[in-house]
Amino acid sequence: MGVMRLGYAHVRVTDMAEAKDHYANTMGLYETLSDVSPEGANRTFYKAWDEWDHHSVVLEEGGVGLVKYGWKVQYESDIDDIERKAQTFGVTVERMSKGENPEIGDGIRFTTPSDHVFEVYHDATLIGTEVGTHNPDAFPRHLVGVGVPALDHSLITAEDPGMMDRFLTEVFDFYATERVQTSLDDDADIIATWMTSNNQIHQLAVLAGPQGKLHHFAFRLGDWTEVGRAADLFSMDDVPIDVGPTRHGITRGQTVYFFDPSGNRNEVFAGGYLAYPDRPVSVWTPEKLGKGVFYHARELNDAFTSVLT
Amino acid sequence: MPNVTIHPTGEVIYLEPEETVLSGLYKAGYAYTIGCRRGGCAICKVDCRAGTFTYNRPIADTVITAEERTDGTCLSCRAVPDGDITIEMRDGNVRLVNPFLRQINDKARQRAEALARAQADMAGATTKE
Ligand code: FES
Ligand SMILES: [Fe+2]
Repeated sequence: MGVMRLGYAHVRVTDMAEAKDHYANTMGLYETLSDVSPEGANRTFYKAWDEWDHHSVVLEEGGVGLVKYGWKVQYESDIDDIERKAQTFGVTVERMSKGENPEIGDGIRFTTPSDHVFEVYHDATLIGTEVGTHNPDAFPRHLVGVGVPALDHSLITAEDPGMMDRFLTEVFDFYATERVQTSLDDDADIIATWMTSNNQIHQLAVLAGPQGKLHHFAFRLGDWTEVGRAADLFSMDDVPIDVGPTRHGITRGQTVYFFDPSGNRNEVFAGGYLAYPDRPVSVWTPEKLGKGVFYHARELNDAFTSVLT
Repeated sequence: MPNVTIHPTGEVIYLEPEETVLSGLYKAGYAYTIGCRRGGCAICKVDCRAGTFTYNRPIADTVITAEERTDGTCLSCRAVPDGDITIEMRDGNVRLVNPFLRQINDKARQRAEALARAQADMAGATTKE
């Protein structure tokens, strides 16, 4: 099946102590490793409670913004397949070997047309969850803070989102569930695209903007109540809330946008309908983009297109 | 302790010790374009015209360039004044929140202007006959 999910988001933080407090105590991630990179940067690895692989979030001290994403494929052979397709698209692909990322196996690495670094891998050390797999309980009893179950998706910016739509379609076998276009005409330009490989409403979205930038990465929640509770906790912990709680018109997800202590935007995201490749793509045009992004305010805030790391 | 003067209006805002420029202005009831409030997004820059300040956290080179560290650029959410300072805001009153509509509007204006020019040329050609 190729890419199963966004396996990890690896981001930079200016201050590791503050970042750890946010991701561990407010978000409720579990620290699985802390080390120093070969380049000498402090790193911390996390997983969320309902994830079984070694990590889904990596923090690296120094700077802000994205280092790279890891995409997990179902079969070893998917790596070769994606390597070929990326080369056909005109992208230079390098091999990465087991251990270059702690607890991650062999794979490939390339820079996308949007100047983001992607890694594709098949093996990650299996840690499992507290509830286990044998007659498991519904959730761990002593979750911390928001207690997010999993990393969900990310939004990046690119000068040519239409090119990234093609790239993800041809190389990752992704399909678009929703798009923002300049008009409904056949030759309209793509302003943004929401893409996935399976029933998840989106794994990666791409918005027109500067190359190589991070708009946000998101954690999954169950429903409105959990989204509201997360927002309450952000107020308790003095986490700057960008927007929400509200709904996205696009994807129908329920959301809070907020910032980590280094200014990287995070999101908690619940809901969203089931995606299918044969479902007609929902198309939004710029005059309704406000409603598409923030369904209740129906207006973009000035941070939405300009605040990036 | 320190006072922040906003050029050119001359409003003076008093800051608590250790308080950032952004925090001080918001606590004083002002609003301007800000984003993360945590030094990451670069949107809250103002210009420091007099006085000095110190950043209370390390700032990424992607947020403040080497040049901006000496040209008076002040990342207001992380800048703590060393003493009285004078700043100038960078954003005006007009806030562009949907740049894609703006681009479409630009193109529409260019099309209309091109059409008007073409019509003027044709009218010119007709009168010459
Ligand atoms: S508000 Fe983001 S850097 Fe100051
Ligand atoms: Fe999102």
